[in-house]
Amino acid sequence: MTNRKKFLFAGCGASAVAALVAIAILVGPARANKDPVTPEQLNAYNQVFLDEVKKGDLLFHGDDATQKQMGVKLTTSAMACAMCHPFASDTHPMSFPKFQVSMNQFATLRDMINWCIEKPNQGEKIDPESEAMKALEAYIYWSNTGSVLVPGKY
Amino acid sequence: MSELERERREIATELQRPGHSPDPKMRITRRTFMHRSCLTGAATVAQTFAWWPLINTIDIAYAAEAPFKFAWLSDTHLYPESVNTRFVEKVKRAAKEIQAMNPPADFMIFGGDLAQLGRANELALGVQLLSEVKIPKVFIPGEHDWYYDMGAEWRKHFDKPSWSMDHKGVRFIGLDTVSHGPDYWSARKMSPEERMDHMATLDGSVAGPWAGVGHEGLDWLSKTLSDWDKARPVVIFTHNPLYEYYPPWNFWVRDWREVNDILKPYKNVTNIHGHVHQVLYNEIGSMRSIGMLATSWPWPYAPEGVPKLTVPMIRVDPGDIYDGVGWGDLSMKNDKVDTEYVMWGRKQVFATDISGPDSSLSQPEVLRPRIADKIWPY
Repeated sequence: MTNRKKFLFAGCGASAVAALVAIAILVGPARANKDPVTPEQLNAYNQVFLDEVKKGDLLFHGDDATQKQMGVKLTTSAMACAMCHPFASDTHPMSFPKFQVSMNQFATLRDMINWCIEKPNQGEKIDPESEAMKALEAYIYWSNTGSVLVPGKY
Repeated sequence: MSELERERREIATELQRPGHSPDPKMRITRRTFMHRSCLTGAATVAQTFAWWPLINTIDIAYAAEAPFKFAWLSDTHLYPESVNTRFVEKVKRAAKEIQAMNPPADFMIFGGDLAQLGRANELALGVQLLSEVKIPKVFIPGEHDWYYDMGAEWRKHFDKPSWSMDHKGVRFIGLDTVSHGPDYWSARKMSPEERMDHMATLDGSVAGPWAGVGHEGLDWLSKTLSDWDKARPVVIFTHNPLYEYYPPWNFWVRDWREVNDILKPYKNVTNIHGHVHQVLYNEIGSMRSIGMLATSWPWPYAPEGVPKLTVPMIRVDPGDIYDGVGWGDLSMKNDKVDTEYVMWGRKQVFATDISGPDSSLSQPEVLRPRIADKIWPY
């Protein structure tokens, strides 16, 4: 095979692979989403969510093992989130984002969680994108399921 | 009809019949008048809140003795000083202020939850800090004091969890509402630490409906009141409220109906309680009930069941450890008792408008119970 033929063959091969990747990216997921959702799939999706909620519940209630496992230190004062917020009450996730007076800034729920960790709990602020933050957020939202969204409310 | 609604209707039918309300012969003060206007709907809610006084007044009829004061302190939730100093500082402040009351209080009642996890060093720290209060002191237990060693250490310091004393024409009763919790630990083979940890989690489900007076307590209460004139004032100190407010957090005693049956013939009963860490007021049958502040931290109002007669406390700043907490300065003068909430760092204790920005009830919540303690291996 001449070099030119080799080049053309390789080019065709690369094009075919690229086309397949494009199909996989663009068409594959779209088709998957258009398939009817099975109860098993729904259960699996929900389980992923509830696992986060459970981790968040344990963090929120000051569970030492979960804090160690997730590499966070949410308190040094022996205060846990749930001591002021039983059932995650009075966290008002439905009112965020808003101007948070105690922080003197426009804040998201994650900002507020970190403020509580740092101030009342005297713990160590956590990465807003961390697994621990996502878990805490999941628990707080889940606990307030059914509350009416009022973003911006004081 | 929801279970809660059904229960509330039952309460109203059973306990708010004509002739079973706080004695109408009691002198009506302006404060009481405003209160009744709320009951009858003569004023709008906003107007009633706007007029509500700082001091919550309870009339006590027939008390002919000299006026006197007493102080309420509770829910200090002390950890060892090495773990948490802020709760210690607040007890020191309260002790100093109670000792400095002028005119001085005749006695101080400690309403339970001296310790956070019931450890001997926490209770001993509480005793040491309160030794600065030189006036006579009486104590009732909270669940945090009790479930590490089932009250052994608490009894060493304070003897009986239920007691009564007559003082200047009033029968004061300290009633234990914490020590009769159903056994959730034996079958699960829990250590004392585990038992205490569950009891110390207000929104946990494992300890269940632990708040109650129990059969022995009911018999004792009945006997203790049997020789008392039914028209004379009775003040009952308890850790938990003697009515149903919010069972999931044990903001009740589970046998409140039986308690109320015993109290029904007595026309002038005031229940003063802790546990809720918030301003509360209710009337049930012939009993008035007042919830007191903690020194440790304030609890938010429960998502349902807040008595309609309660004027909510103002929304507090979570960044200020002295906000929303404090102690109680109570006066008994002639025929009435005034309950003043000494809320540190704030002159205005009550929200003036329940739906306004300063009310913690202005954002309705829908809440669900925990999940993790139902799947954990307990």
